[in-house]
This record gives sequence, structure tokens and C-alpha cells, in this order.
Amino acid sequence: MREFIDGAEAIVRGALDAGCDFFAGYPITPATPILLHMVRELPKIDGVAIQAEDEIASMGFCIGAAMTGCRVLTATSGPGISLYSENIGLAIMGEVPLVIINVQRMGPSTGGATTTAQGDIQFMRWGMSGGYPVIVLSPTNVLECYSLTRRAFNLAERFRVPVFLATDKETVATRTTVNISAYEQVPVRERTLTAAEAEFIPYHVAQPDEVPPMSPYGGPHVVRFTSSSHNERGYLTKNPADVEGLNRHLVAKIDEHVDEITLVMTDIQPGAETLIVSYGLTARAALEAAELARAAGHAVSTLVIYSLWPVPEAAIRAALDGVRRVLVAELNLGQYRREIERLVRDDQQVIGVHRVDGQLISPHDILQKGELL
Amino acid sequence: MTSAVMVEEKVVYERPESLADVATHYCPGCTHGIAHRIVAEVLDELGVRDRTIGVSPVGCAVLAYKYFNTDGAEAAHGRAPAMATGIKRVMPDHVVFTYQGDGDLAAIGIAEIIHAATRGENITTIFVNNAIYGMTGGQMAPTTLIGQETTSSPGGRSQTLTGFPVRMAELMAGITGSAYIARRSLHNVKEINTAKRAIKTAFLAQLNGLGFSMVELLSTCPTNWKVSPAEALAWVESDMVPYYPLGDYKVAEEVKPLMKRR
Ligand SMILES: Cc1ncc(C[n+]2csc(CCOP(=O)(O)OP(=O)(O)O)c2C)c(N)n1
Ligand code: SF4
Repeated sequence: MREFIDGAEAIVRGALDAGCDFFAGYPITPATPILLHMVRELPKIDGVAIQAEDEIASMGFCIGAAMTGCRVLTATSGPGISLYSENIGLAIMGEVPLVIINVQRMGPSTGGATTTAQGDIQFMRWGMSGGYPVIVLSPTNVLECYSLTRRAFNLAERFRVPVFLATDKETVATRTTVNISAYEQVPVRERTLTAAEAEFIPYHVAQPDEVPPMSPYGGPHVVRFTSSSHNERGYLTKNPADVEGLNRHLVAKIDEHVDEITLVMTDIQPGAETLIVSYGLTARAALEAAELARAAGHAVSTLVIYSLWPVPEAAIRAALDGVRRVLVAELNLGQYRREIERLVRDDQQVIGVHRVDGQLISPHDILQKGELL
Repeated sequence: MTSAVMVEEKVVYERPESLADVATHYCPGCTHGIAHRIVAEVLDELGVRDRTIGVSPVGCAVLAYKYFNTDGAEAAHGRAPAMATGIKRVMPDHVVFTYQGDGDLAAIGIAEIIHAATRGENITTIFVNNAIYGMTGGQMAPTTLIGQETTSSPGGRSQTLTGFPVRMAELMAGITGSAYIARRSLHNVKEINTAKRAIKTAFLAQLNGLGFSMVELLSTCPTNWKVSPAEALAWVESDMVPYYPLGDYKVAEEVKPLMKRR
């Protein structure tokens, strides 16, 4: 069966199929449609969807609900992410699984409420004090809005960490025909819980990269949660060994498992000297540019990155192998280009294809910048 | 042969100098425009236009800084009183006002407005209560009435899910630093005239250094209420006024003589 839907509907469906039963958010263009769908859909399955007085409160609702065992979603855009920042830090510290949809619009500040952008790529990763990691996935079309939302919920549970879906105004607000059977069905990953009879040491891990099992509020154990540096029992501490153990664990649980998170699509052409790297909405222009270039007789390879953070370095290095130059197309002034630049060899040239005029990057823009016309 | 009769023409209605000569983007029948006009008339009458700084919200009045012929700023959503505070503290001789919607002031910005009043911040706030989020497409506001249908309260606002509409004038009146707090409506000419007098009192309170002043204005949003402009005015009177009674909620002793003088 085919249907005519937009990214917001696909995200909501993906969330519901992933078992989402709690949503909190505050209206903001262009993320509001997700709030409106959730307000209609969640009560039907006895879930809770609530409009908060602002984004700070929204994220607080989400953290509280997640700690009771809910699978939690919220959705906003740049100015809202700014206000989420403090509580995302809390979620990182308390190791709270939740999914944040960022429908990117142009910044800084109110910027362009209805203007698409990819300007929050570094902000999502580094916008919290301390610099500890989160996971960021980025869909390029409506079908991937569905499948990556499902994956985001699973990664949140697997790593007990906030997971962003980096979308944009065009992908979320533009209707397109999709074949329902094409939705990628990702199995639901349930939360790992401590057995009722077992002793519950909330943050105990044997190895730094392990993720401690949870126990919900109201469940068989006493659950304590703090925003401060804590020991394995969740008590505030300044003990250097405990503090260091915690902080290294927050990084190791993600960084030592990049391969589990990595999701890219590569199309390597034999003998290609040029690699076009892109993500999100812009990847669609990149793939079309590659087709046009090939039709014109240029061998061109492509790399679409779905898992932006942690940076899938091994996959990027593999795609870089053998090329002479790399075109990085993105709707900002080179945010992810920085990540590519640190991975290239000295003899490889990185060329950015960027726009910040509110218009989309066209296949032609990429071909022109890459002298592939 | 006709003989010309000289009639002396008298201007009885013109654009206040404090209102810029530009077309606004407000929807037909929206009372934001009326609120702008009476604020501008008051600034003209008080002769303070050239030393006034207006701080706009994020909301439908996001472009108010373009419509008032004064210095202006647009603050981040809800933060106008904070920015106004910074301006006023450095330039106490200037007239500083914020112009905010109900999402901006009563939801995301409720902390800023309350603390502006608790500090007795000598600024004036024009609070446009239209019981909905206009700019973002008609979602529920903190002021949305119980049972009122909005895009984010399908089937009507439920008090069990989202609580009760907040009465800001009453809330602000309880704050010691508030000098003058009033609620007025824009649904007919008589009320508009009353609203203008309250706005004048509020600015006079500021000019006399008496502390925080706010006038809440019941306003229409025909577009998102999905009714005609006339029906919208009628709804203000029939549904909003009973829940949001009009009147003065706080008149500090020193403000009273300012009201009598006119
Ligand atoms: C931090 C942040 N969150 C959300 C928004 C989106 N937003 C813009 S205006 C608005 C509400 C407008 O409603 P209101 O203040 O009632 O004014 P009106 O448009 O009705 O005059 C919202 C939620 C934003 N700009 N910034
Ligand atoms: S949306 Fe509503 S509040 Fe905004 S200008 Fe139109 S009528 Fe006025």
C-alpha cells in the first residue's frame, strides 16, 4: 500500500512502533506537527502526551517519565534545543534513555522559523557542559524518518543516553508518497532491568564501557538519581577515583562501541578520484549529483552518513581510501567538514559545498564546486 | 457660476507619530493592531516617543519593533522583561516597555515577568491575552479556556491534563513590586478607550518611578479561533471577560493621583 505522508507522521509512527508511551514538548515551528500528532495518538494507547510551559520543563517531564520506565520522545527546533541543553546534561549524567527530534531551522536564535538548515550538527554534540557524548542520527527522507526513529529508541536503551534525530524543516514538513512495505522494521530493544531479587547498585559497571541495568521508580528497588558526579550507588562524591571512573565510563560506553552505532551508505566506484560526503536532506542532492556526474563520464563515489555522532571514523576512512578529493555538502559553513578534515591524508583535498542563504544545496551546486559539470 | 465656500478642515484622526507608517502583517480583524495604536497614542500624548525603547516578543507581535516608531528590540521567546531590565537599569530616564503575548509572557516567560515585578522594575508591560498561540498556528496557551479547542488541545482544553487558565493580572497584583496592574479588553470602542486610559496610567507610573506596571488586554485571534472578526469580538465579551474580569488589580497609593489628574 502506498500513502502520502510527511516526515513528522513517519517519525510519530516510528516512535509508536518503537513502544514510545510518553511525549512532552512545547510548540515551535517546524517541529510542532510532531507534538500535535502525539497529543492525538498517545492517549489512544494509554500513553501520556503533554504540552509543557516551555522546553526546560518539557525535558524535565521527559527525564522523570523515562526514569519510571517509559520510552520517551520530545521534538523541538534550534531555540528549543538551547533550552533543553541543561536537562540534556542531566540526562547524560543520570544515564537516561530518551529520544530528541531536532527539526533543524536556520539559526542563530529565532533565525528563520520556516527556513531549513543543518546548522545544529556540532551544537547537538557539544551543546552541553562537560562535553560528554550523545548519539546523533540523521535521516535523508521520510522512510528513514521512520526507521531511524525506531533505531534511535533502541540506541537510547542500549546505551542509556539521549539520542538525537537530526532532521530538518523540509524532510519533516514535505509530503511524499511512500510504500508502507518499504518501512524498515527494526526489532524493539527492551530496557535492560535489574532482576527484582538482585541487589540494585544503580551505576555499577565491571568495565568502563558497560551500561548498567536500570530499575524503574516505583519498582522493586530504591532508585536514586543525581545531577552531580556520583559513585556507583548514585551518591554525590568528590572522590577522584569515583569521579574519574564515572566520567570515563560516560565516554567509553559510546566510544568503544562506535561500530554498533555506525550507519552509513557507501557507493564506491572503481577508480573514482572524488568522494561526495553528505548527510540528511542534502544527501539527496549529493546522490543525484553523483548520478549526473557518472552520466557525464566522471567516476564518483558517495558516502551518506546516518550516524553523525559518534563519528563513524572507520567507515569514513574506508570510503576515503583511494580518492584524491572529498566534497562535503551540508547546509552550514562546514560543521561536519571539520570531522572529515581530521580524517583525510595529507594528499587528499577537502572541498566544502555550503549554503546559508536559506536555499537548498542543489545537485548542480555540488557538480559546480567539484568541477564535475 | 459657483462660489467657493471656504470650510476650515480640522484633523480629528491621524496616525500617531509613535506608529510607523507601514502596513502590518496582522490578520484582518486581529486586535493586535488596536493595541499598537493605543500604545502609540499614549506615547504621543506623554511626549516620550523619542526616549522610548520597546521590546517585542516572539509571537505574532514579533515585528512590533518595526511598527512602533521608537527604538526597539525583539527579545528571545519570553525574555523581553529581562532585556528591558538591562536597558532600563542603564537608562532610567528612558521609557522602556515590553509588548508580549500570552505564550511569551505566561508560559515560557513567566519567570522573567514575575521577577521583573518582584524587583519593582520600573518598566511597563503590555500583555496581549488572546487565549491561544497565534504565531505558531493555534496551539493551547496557558490562558486557553477550559473546553476551548486548539490544535494541541483537540476536543477542548482538559483541566485534568493541562490544568487551569492562568489569570496573570491577579497573579502580578500579588507582587509587592507591582505599582499598577490592570486588565482591559479590546472588544468594543468603550473598552478600547478604557484600555487606553489604563495604558496611560501604566506609563505614568513608570515616568514617576513607581515600579512595575502591566496592562493585560483581552484580544482576538480570529484566524486561529477559526471565527469571523465580529464573532471573535463577541467571544471575548461572552467567554473571556467572565473568566478574566476587567478592572484594576493593583493600584499603589502613589499611582492613584496619576489616575485622577485626567
Ligand atoms: C525557545 C522557543 N520556543 C518556542 C518558540 C516558538 N514560538 C514562537 S511564537 C510562540 C508562541 C506565540 O504565542 P503568543 O505568545 O501567545 O503570541 P501570539 O502569537 O498569540 O500573539 C512560540 C511557541 C520560539 N520561538 N522559541
Ligand atoms: S494569527 Fe491571530 S494573533 Fe496572529 S495576527 Fe493573526 S489573528 Fe492576530
